[in-house]
Amino acid sequence: MRQASYDAIVVGSGITGGWAAKELTEAGLNTLVLEAGRSIDPATDYAEHEPSWSFRFRGIGDRKSLAERQTVQRTCYACDEAAAKFFVDDIDNPYSTPDDKPFLWIRGRQVGGRSIMWARQSYRWSDLDFGANARDGHGVDWPIRYADLEPWYDDVERFAGISGEALGMDQLPDSQFLPPMPLNCGEEFVKDGVMRRFGRQRVVTIGRTAILTVAHNGRAACHYCGPCHRGCITRSYFSSLNATLPAAEATGRMTLRPNSVVAEVLYDSTNDRARGVRVIDAVTNEDMEFEARVVFLCASALESTRVLLNSRPDRFPTGLGNSSGELGHNLMDHTMRSGAGGRIPGLEDRDAYGSRPNGLYIPRFRNVWDEHPDFVRGYGFQGGAGRPSWNRGANMPGFGADFKTALREPGPWQINFGGFGECLPRHSNYVEIDPEKKDRWGVPVLRIHCEWSDNEHAMRRDMAVTAAEMLEAAGVQDVSPYTQPSPPGLTIHEMGTARMGRDPNTSVLNGFNQSHDVPNLFVTDGASMASSACQNPSLTYMALTARACAYAVEQLNQREL
Amino acid sequence: MQRRDVVKVLSTGLAVSALDALAPDHLWAAARTVHDRLRRTPQDRLMVLSDHQNAMVTALAELIIPETDTPGATAAQVNRFVDVMLAEWFEDDEREEFLRGLVALDARGVNTFGAPFLALGEAQQIVLLRGMDAEVTALRDARLPTGDHFFSRMKWLTLYGYYTSEVGATEELQQVIVPGRYDPCAPVRRGGSGVWE
Repeated sequence: MRQASYDAIVVGSGITGGWAAKELTEAGLNTLVLEAGRSIDPATDYAEHEPSWSFRFRGIGDRKSLAERQTVQRTCYACDEAAAKFFVDDIDNPYSTPDDKPFLWIRGRQVGGRSIMWARQSYRWSDLDFGANARDGHGVDWPIRYADLEPWYDDVERFAGISGEALGMDQLPDSQFLPPMPLNCGEEFVKDGVMRRFGRQRVVTIGRTAILTVAHNGRAACHYCGPCHRGCITRSYFSSLNATLPAAEATGRMTLRPNSVVAEVLYDSTNDRARGVRVIDAVTNEDMEFEARVVFLCASALESTRVLLNSRPDRFPTGLGNSSGELGHNLMDHTMRSGAGGRIPGLEDRDAYGSRPNGLYIPRFRNVWDEHPDFVRGYGFQGGAGRPSWNRGANMPGFGADFKTALREPGPWQINFGGFGECLPRHSNYVEIDPEKKDRWGVPVLRIHCEWSDNEHAMRRDMAVTAAEMLEAAGVQDVSPYTQPSPPGLTIHEMGTARMGRDPNTSVLNGFNQSHDVPNLFVTDGASMASSACQNPSLTYMALTARACAYAVEQLNQREL
Repeated sequence: MQRRDVVKVLSTGLAVSALDALAPDHLWAAARTVHDRLRRTPQDRLMVLSDHQNAMVTALAELIIPETDTPGATAAQVNRFVDVMLAEWFEDDEREEFLRGLVALDARGVNTFGAPFLALGEAQQIVLLRGMDAEVTALRDARLPTGDHFFSRMKWLTLYGYYTSEVGATEELQQVIVPGRYDPCAPVRRGGSGVWE
């Protein structure tokens, strides 16, 4: 059934869909935002202040339901008893992998997408990152550099609110910061020790996070309750639901349609343009078409690529906009779960009060000033210090009154540094359409082929060594390095599969996230990334989206689209 | 600002900065009002534990976390939590293993002191618990898994059930839901960071 026509269609309502909705409507475009999942009412869906005893399993989660319906999603730390409803049902939303290449695809389908449960860490990328492919020959050169994105970082940060500490480091440019959250005294102890040994080479700083430390743009400062992934009724952290969608709504030019599964982008061969999208109503299964002058795919890296791979007009038999053959290829994620931990001596009479939803950060120091013999690119560390609470009791001998008294006070200070490593773009890591499997709505699903390369493995070994040497230099005791299995996908920084590039023969999108082949088609989420850097990527998606929207509006106004 | 007004502010999604002026307990009160109640209707009847098993679980939990200057496991209804976990969270074989552990504990009482567990005095019960606790410690010291040991499972259920109960979280640990501030280097206090974890 044919529906009304819009100026713009935005597919997805998460981090990037929210930004596209805001930017396009504020520029005057009547915009239809299509979200595959249900609508969310913060007043009834957020659950961050529910006490543990109000949950049947006290927050640990409904183990049998998770085992039955969310076997993939439950591997994410945030998929707990209160927040499991923000993660997809794996039976309704299947995908496949080869048996020997597990990929954990953590997904959220609802208005707000994964911006409800994201970890909120927000870091700019630098020319060390945008120039990396050109420098070492992996992947294709980014068509942009830091200077292209810098003003857009400024814009999105001023709106979203990023708290953090300015450091003036070239490899990790400062944001437009709100006041930083403090390191706790355990972290200060370790920071001092690392500084004594490594000076400006290895710097411990507070995490840069999209959480307000002061009231900002009509949103309240954080009240340090802790479980952000369950929602935030005071809108203190940035999500599309808390910030960009209300701004788009305020223009009066947004039509937000939940339960709208986009099956394909419709192509008009008479003018080589996207005509609109075909939608399956998730509730009624009704087939519908919506038309617009410009289409923005903001459905998450792999969902946007899935839509393109499922769109196969005669001119593009392997997927819309795939004249390069690179659509679906060069999938990346950050490699993690390698680092070191230990016990901080002293400070027995001190503890943090309140739950700071943030940790410490150590910016990349490998292959910044020198060249490492074993790997290219680099990694950063995230972590934090704290004192364990009662739950350490399960692994302590004893019981009875003295045992109870001992658990009243916290255990010894502990600290952990966990690495987040850059993943190289490689053609052999790719997604395709599974020849048989379909989701609950009959849309063909992805088959994902992804594994780490020797470069990531070498980096992981180095993370454990450098984390341990920093902790030891700081006087931390019982230091134990670790490298645990880190299946691709679980870092939830999946990127690539519709990369930006200068050459239409080797890339899917140009420097404005615009399809080389279909000029009124834009992809501004993680799919567009040409390399992965080692910083959390969402802030860069925001800046890319805002920049692409401004370009699209300008092109529309000049009748170029 | 009255609670009614707070709810109005929250539900319209506008002027949220008005919340800045609120004390943490007001925020908490507002949040309580607007959030969905996830609490299910408590069931009076136990689903798995027989009267005898329930009495054993209640006694064991109270020995692990007894009443002191604050209520203990019995007041926190840890036995009911154990029943829910056995009925709906554990796999069938795990549940059967746990229930066999109760039978084995009675046998241990008969073999050591000539009577089943509940017929023993507290001092004798404590001797039996020390023996089981030492077995768990030996497993841990040998770096062997402890999770399947009856006493390890009972202790975990007791601690988890107690400290996440209203009694455990608010009276024993004196934790709050909305601290309203973060102090990075506070004097150590009961209940650690003050926030439910």
